[in-house]
Amino acid sequence: MAKTEFNTKKKIKVEHHESDLRGTLASVFLLGFFIIVTWVSVWMLFLDRF
Amino acid sequence: MHIHKFEKIWLTFGIGCLIVFLSIVGVSAFYLGNQPPSCLTTIDPETVGEKAPFDKPGLNKVEGKEWDYELVYVASAFSYNPTQVEVPLGAKVKVIATTKDVVHGFEMAGTNINMMLEPGYVSEVVTTFDKAGEYLIVCNEYCGTGHHLMHSMVKVVE
Repeated sequence: MAKTEFNTKKKIKVEHHESDLRGTLASVFLLGFFIIVTWVSVWMLFLDRF
Repeated sequence: MHIHKFEKIWLTFGIGCLIVFLSIVGVSAFYLGNQPPSCLTTIDPETVGEKAPFDKPGLNKVEGKEWDYELVYVASAFSYNPTQVEVPLGAKVKVIATTKDVVHGFEMAGTNINMMLEPGYVSEVVTTFDKAGEYLIVCNEYCGTGHHLMHSMVKVVE
């Protein structure tokens, strides 16, 4: 009887597309530096006053 | 698990920021000993004004403590006692305040002195008055119909 043949040996090649994250990186750091600048300026205000 | 190079960069940056911010708060609390103004010091609100230090509201010189003066305030609806105080420039002062009746605020405008005064609790803050000028103390917790009239003045003089 004929055996059902599965094509088990064939490797499925997953095409991995490297996403372009340059814009995301830029916006993450833009937000990051905004948070740091505002945090530090409030902290300096706190240190400056008695 | 594959992580994009950029993702590694911003994850490191974010976690680094978190560690720095929390470390500053931790050092402030556990090494420098900073604590909230109301920190478990209690008093019977019925007898405020009878016992020290609230029997002598105002600026009192003290010896043998980390600070030179104690500035004592008793708040009640709708005033502070004392209403006006002169503090010498550069004096290290412990501000001690409490309330006789309801919750009041204690904000010295333009400074970091900003406390809530709760009945039964003593609020304290230690600071060095190193800038001359007039500083208005206002109530910033709504305490009743005369809330907006409640104020006091501190003059830091040379």
